[in-house]
Amino acid sequence: MSSAELDRQLAQLFALRSSKERAPSSLKARLYSALIHKQQQTGPLASLDASVEAGHGICIFEKLVQIAPVGEQAKTPFFCQVCHARVLAEHSDNPLIFWSHCPYVKFKES
Amino acid sequence: MAAKIPIQPGQAPEFVSDERRLVASVLGKDRKATAEFVDQCTDWMYPFLRRRLVARPDVMEDILQEILLAAWQALPTYRGDSSLQSWILGIARHKIDDYYRKRIREDVISEEEEDSAPEPAMAPNLEQQLDSAAQQEKVQQILSSLPETYALALIWRYRDEKSVREMAEVSGKTEKAMERLLARAREDFRRRWNDVER
Repeated sequence: MSSAELDRQLAQLFALRSSKERAPSSLKARLYSALIHKQQQTGPLASLDASVEAGHGICIFEKLVQIAPVGEQAKTPFFCQVCHARVLAEHSDNPLIFWSHCPYVKFKES
Repeated sequence: MAAKIPIQPGQAPEFVSDERRLVASVLGKDRKATAEFVDQCTDWMYPFLRRRLVARPDVMEDILQEILLAAWQALPTYRGDSSLQSWILGIARHKIDDYYRKRIREDVISEEEEDSAPEPAMAPNLEQQLDSAAQQEKVQQILSSLPETYALALIWRYRDEKSVREMAEVSGKTEKAMERLLARAREDFRRRWNDVER
């Protein structure tokens, strides 16, 4: 068998079929937390008001902060950092979390 | 930080407009848009990387994170002249090439070893009556059992269709050394392929 023929066979063998394989939700959860932390290194996140104005839903805990009579600055921290949903989602692909508009719940559902 | 991304001819306006909105919101550090961005990008990158890091699944998360952070940093330069998916996969391709280059460069081949390397054109008996899915599964299984540099060299050559010259240039090896690495990798692959069959 010629080297070219061997190359042809291997190329055929290694050719990829399209894959619709999705990433595990715990992986997405950890990557999301990492990217948010990276964003925070360059300044505060957009406030919850801005997210709502952009048409995004916010979770019940974020809602409590968003409607509180506090300044814009107080609405910029990454509240998920202290939420059990994040911890569970980062460690399990099917965490027992069900809050509406929680990004970690959405990773599980997507 | 607002992103100004022009719509290019041939792009569906709704699609582009959605991507423009998403990119602008991520640049504005909207946490919800960022979640959507991570969700989409990870699903695009995951199968791409899984097929290319079959020999080292343990490094996949680190590389995924590296790509995602690099994409976030480069996002202000995204002009929208290709889909966001192509753009992200372009970054992923570069990172994978970097990883392959580094690992293959580290693979020291002594002259003695080079001289005793097997010739590549051994009867490989690779064409067997396997359905496509079973064949893919077998290829992945064997790749994951090969020494890492062998698997990377084969994937780089046959999955990413790099020429031997390109591989040599990028990894800082001679073409001869790269040919020998490939010859050993092919031989090991062929042997395992036939062993699995028995």
